[in-house]
Amino acid sequence: MTDELDPGKIARLLTQGTRQLDVATMSALVDARQKALKRHSERAPVFTLAPTSAYMPARWTDRLIPHAAQLWIAAGLLVAVLIAGTSYWQHVQEQQIDETDLAILTDELPIEVFVD
Amino acid sequence: MKSIVLGRTPDNLVSVFLLLCLISVPISASAQSWRALTPEQREALAPLDQQWDTLPEIQRKRLLETAKRYSHLTHEQKERYHKRLVKWSKLTPEQREAARQKYRAFNKLPAKEREKVKQMVKEEQIKKAQQSASGVAAASTAHQP
Repeated sequence: MTDELDPGKIARLLTQGTRQLDVATMSALVDARQKALKRHSERAPVFTLAPTSAYMPARWTDRLIPHAAQLWIAAGLLVAVLIAGTSYWQHVQEQQIDETDLAILTDELPIEVFVD
Repeated sequence: MKSIVLGRTPDNLVSVFLLLCLISVPISASAQSWRALTPEQREALAPLDQQWDTLPEIQRKRLLETAKRYSHLTHEQKERYHKRLVKWSKLTPEQREAARQKYRAFNKLPAKEREKVKQMVKEEQIKKAQQSASGVAAASTAHQP
C-alpha cells in the first residue's frame, strides 16, 4: 500500500467505474437523481436568507430578479402594507371622533348632559 | 455583474419604499387662520371668529371637519351647533374626550332608556324655565312702589 488514496484519485476511480456501467444501471441512477432533486426542491422554503443551493433548480423569479432583491421587495411591501393599515386605522378613528363631536354639538340633549 | 446589481438594488428599493410611504400617509389639511377660511366655513364657525386664531391646531382641524357638514344640518341643528361651539371650544381636551365617551355610552343604551333620559332632561329644562320666569316676576313686583 504505497499509493495513498487521495480524494482526486477516488473521484477518478469512480468516474472510470461509472463509464463501465451498463446503460440500464446508468438510466436507473439518472432517474433516481432526478427524483431526489425534485423532492428536494419541493421541500425548499419560499424565502430563505441562505443562497440558493447548487442542487436546487433556480425558480423563474430568481432569473428575473436576484434573490436578495426579492427579499428587499418583500420586506418593503410588508412595511408599506403596515404603514397603509395603520394610517387607515387612524383615519377611521379620526372620522369617528369628528362624527361624535358633531353629534354632541347638534343633539337634542343639551351639551351639559355629556360635559361635567 | 451580479454584485453590481445587488449593490444598486437597496438604493432603488429605498426610494420605492419612501414613495410608498408618502402615498400611504394620508394628506392632512393644515389648520388655517380665520382669514384663510372659506365663506362657508366662516358661516359655520361664526361664533368662534374672535378666538379662532388662538385655538390649538388640532382643535381647529376637528372643528373644520365638523363644519364640513354644517350645510347639511337642519335649521334647529344649526342653531344648536352655533350655541354650543363656544362652550365646546373652551373645554380641555380631557373634558372633550370624556364627553365623547359619555355620548357613545349613552348611544349604546336601549332606545327606551334613551327616551327616558331625554324625557327627564326635558322636564328638568321646563322646571328651570318656570323657576327663572317666576323669579323674574317676583323681582319685578318687589320693585313696584
